[in-house]
Amino acid sequence: MKANLKPMERILQKVWPRARKKHLYPQLPTPQLVEGGEEVALEIKSKKLQISASFLENIKAMMDPEEAVEAVLDHGIAHYMYCPWDFHTHLTLYSEAKKALKDKKMAQKATSYFLDVVANTYCVKERETKLPDLYRRLPKEGIQGVLASLYQKIWGVDLGVDEEHEEKVRRLARIPYLEKRRWRESIKKFAKVIEDFLEEELKAEQGQDRKAPNPLGEHSLDNYSLEEIDRGLRNFASTVQDLQEFKETVEDLKEELNERGYAMGGMGRGEGNPIDADLLYYMKLAENYTLPIRKLPMEKSGDLHPHSHSPWEVGKPFQDIDPWTSFGKIMPGLTQTWVRREGEVYGEMESTPDCLIIIDSSGSMTNPRERLSYAVLGAACACNAYLKNEARVAVYNFSDAFRGNKLLLEFSREREAIYRAICRYFGGGTALDLEDVVYLLRQADHPDIFIITDMQITNLEKLIEFFSGIENRVTAVHLGHNVHTARFREGLKKKRNISLFPVREKEDIPKIVLGKIREYWASPL
Amino acid sequence: MINPFQEFKGRTSRRREIPLDQILRSKEETLSRILRGYENLLKNEAKDLVWLMQYSTVIKAYTIAEEGIKGIEYTAEDIEEFCYALDKTDQIPYLITGPAGVYISALCNHAKEEEIVLRLQDLNVKINLLGYRLPEGKRLVVEGNVGDFTGIGLDGGELVIEGSAKNYTGAGMKRGKIVVKNNVGFNTGHGMTGGEIVVGGRIKGLGKIVGGKIYEREHLIFPSEEMKPFFF
Repeated sequence: MKANLKPMERILQKVWPRARKKHLYPQLPTPQLVEGGEEVALEIKSKKLQISASFLENIKAMMDPEEAVEAVLDHGIAHYMYCPWDFHTHLTLYSEAKKALKDKKMAQKATSYFLDVVANTYCVKERETKLPDLYRRLPKEGIQGVLASLYQKIWGVDLGVDEEHEEKVRRLARIPYLEKRRWRESIKKFAKVIEDFLEEELKAEQGQDRKAPNPLGEHSLDNYSLEEIDRGLRNFASTVQDLQEFKETVEDLKEELNERGYAMGGMGRGEGNPIDADLLYYMKLAENYTLPIRKLPMEKSGDLHPHSHSPWEVGKPFQDIDPWTSFGKIMPGLTQTWVRREGEVYGEMESTPDCLIIIDSSGSMTNPRERLSYAVLGAACACNAYLKNEARVAVYNFSDAFRGNKLLLEFSREREAIYRAICRYFGGGTALDLEDVVYLLRQADHPDIFIITDMQITNLEKLIEFFSGIENRVTAVHLGHNVHTARFREGLKKKRNISLFPVREKEDIPKIVLGKIREYWASPL
Repeated sequence: MINPFQEFKGRTSRRREIPLDQILRSKEETLSRILRGYENLLKNEAKDLVWLMQYSTVIKAYTIAEEGIKGIEYTAEDIEEFCYALDKTDQIPYLITGPAGVYISALCNHAKEEEIVLRLQDLNVKINLLGYRLPEGKRLVVEGNVGDFTGIGLDGGELVIEGSAKNYTGAGMKRGKIVVKNNVGFNTGHGMTGGEIVVGGRIKGLGKIVGGKIYEREHLIFPSEEMKPFFF
């Protein structure tokens, strides 16, 4: 049946200001009337409520269309104003439902129904609403019948359902739906009680090859904008009990996240690399910490000076040719030209140098893909801090470096590549090849060094010796205390460009100050 | 200048009382009464947070538990809530699984319902002594694993454990039936004089059994050629 949109639109325009006022002016865009299906009244896309005209057309024979629109709007607004409120809450509830049901699809359905029960009950208790009238007229098959019986019991209104499923309804009615702090345990109970109905619904869907419609709309990632998803994941990463919980939830939503265009680097990057849940966990978790960086008084002089050589090619200017290294000849491949760079001088302007992150991924360190690794989290926070200050980051990830268990990433601003390098785990012995470090340090001008390790390094003495001989600012973070950390501290106590921070727990990470030197020799302050 | 909030002046928030509020209030009230009864049992039976598992102490604890629950109107769901309340340290100062099991058994044995289903899968502790003296006409189904001394002194009821049980399951039972879906521990059926224990998984060891029948994975293992009745 093709719906006539005009009169319905007039109704929507009339009802919307009333509904907004009733809910104390939520920051929502004007709802839209769409052709839609007859079975589903509402769809929420990035906060925009879309009401199905066909549904309203269908229900107007049974109910005043104004009241129906108002009820649908109440339901939609309550999702925005109360439950789930944000993507983080949605994810948390899904994760708890998954723990109880151990099945992705069933957990998604249980979450969806739970959100509806909470939002509807909130409306009935806190606002003047026609939602019970609407539910009286909605189909009550399968789980919808159980929910209608539940509403009948907890709202105290007659919705025209028989007292079926008494035991289930009795159990469901004992759940404190309006107590936010208990939602986590509540959804588990809710999911377990309706588990067999969910199973039946899924079986029926597989048989019919179509999803059983939820009359007041589905809850999916479509409800949220990319910014909300990004923020939700960040909060979720900081509240989950462990990495595995985050990983499992994100793996479940991987397809939907990809469809929404959410890629590894965060929102709004369109088609990106497939989501690596471990990396995403550290990315999001690290976003919750901000490490301060002491900037260096440094400014660009504006003068170009010869910096390095590159082979001359036809078309390159002759004035840059270096006759001393070209054997006096002009010949592609033999002739060398100077690569010029803008010079930097120390002055009033402060800026952040690049940073080399040295991370230990030997067997004594936690595997970041199994459990939360403080080393990776610390390195990720340092990486974020430098990138935020428009500096570049290089990574030297080592285990038994002399046996090839090492990874070198040259200076880059590619966050994903840096995170991949940081998260790599070798799990072998612990030896550092200082030649690699020297090689990387040469790629930038006086880069800072951020080293994070438990200091149980075979060639620790050489590392101490190396650090004694350089002037770069070094932020050394050691995990736990042992004789090696004591030796490192003792060996470098006179060096003023090296600061040492111990990390025992997650809370120690924000205490790190990057590039801190004990006597700030050229500070203008 | 017009006050933009003028139109909300005098407006009070409409907080309607709905039946859910009443249900939750009465649930909380019942739970607190059950908890008070349990605390009373602990005060009498486990003053030093130590409780020795002896038959005489179990009998005494059960008598006190019965006294404690007198006059409380509760359902199977309330018993389940109580089990989870025990699991949370902020709701009750301590959990000693022995008296807790005796108390829960008393609650089950005196419940109005003939069939009680306790969904205890998410419980962190394994409660001992569940199903103690379960009388005829009662069916107790426990979803999840349970601890030691499950179904001891069973008195005609049917106890179904949808998980595993530990040692001394069905010890001293007189009649009735215990069904354990998964495994049970050592000394199973120790001193039992009648009834049936049906184990879907493995039995680690049998106790000294006087009478009754024990099945392991659908095979009758007591009485059998290898296992004859024991006479104390």
